[in-house]
Amino acid sequence: MAFNILLVDDSATVRAVINKALNLAGVDINELFQAGNGQEALEVLESQWVDLVFCDISMPVMDGEELVDNMNLNGMIESIPVVMVSSAGSEPRVARLKEKGVRDYIQKPFTPEHIREVVDQVMGVIENAD
Amino acid sequence: MQTSTQEKLSKTFLDVVEQLTFMFGEPVPKSEFEADGTVFNRAAMRFSGDVVGELAVAVPEEITADIAANILGLEPEDIESEEMRNDALAEMLNVACGHVIMALAGTDANFKLEAPATSKVDEDTYNKMMLDESYIGFLLDDNPVFLGLTLEN
Repeated sequence: MAFNILLVDDSATVRAVINKALNLAGVDINELFQAGNGQEALEVLESQWVDLVFCDISMPVMDGEELVDNMNLNGMIESIPVVMVSSAGSEPRVARLKEKGVRDYIQKPFTPEHIREVVDQVMGVIENAD
Repeated sequence: MQTSTQEKLSKTFLDVVEQLTFMFGEPVPKSEFEADGTVFNRAAMRFSGDVVGELAVAVPEEITADIAANILGLEPEDIESEEMRNDALAEMLNVACGHVIMALAGTDANFKLEAPATSKVDEDTYNKMMLDESYIGFLLDDNPVFLGLTLEN
């Protein structure tokens, strides 16, 4: 199954690294969207079909936690899985984000294998394959 | 800087850099660095929360393309723009910063990272990094690197 994936990070380098990791991990991508902050991400989410979001925590304009709060307000968080990718994920913050509906957290630096594992788990690929 | 803090800082930084860039380093006294006119690029970022301060790294400009290429899985000649090189240096610092804070304050620390800023190192900044005890030295793939940690609480 091919996914529409949204990458949200203010660093073009990080977006490129996640994209590369997804490709190396063999994740089937239908369409890849990119946003430099939470505000831009909301605009993509309101206009495009997105299956999965990879999102940084610390960003200018609107950070990752504010994006999650906004997705909660309009009910998107239940239908669009969000995975946070960051180095700023202390245990209390990760727990708080998961309480808000974030499906998983990936600590940087990460491997393609870890990305694959999270995608399979979050998108239910393993269950569907059985 | 306390010895225990310096040891945690060194180990955490080198572990992150190795995983992220596949470059290997070792701590060295800054006195071993030669003043040979090497141009350095610096990235610095502030953090706040349970710990407040700044982390900065300065590397020779000539290895910034290698850092970017290794992070992105490309060849150094594919790294064409200064923006790509600076963005990669900033990302290396960003990742290191989160790990350094949790190494110093624990994985349950509450903290917020500001966006890193990059700049070229002028003579005054170079002299400050050489003299200031908050900066420690490394050789990263045989290249001199400065890492500075300032804690304000």
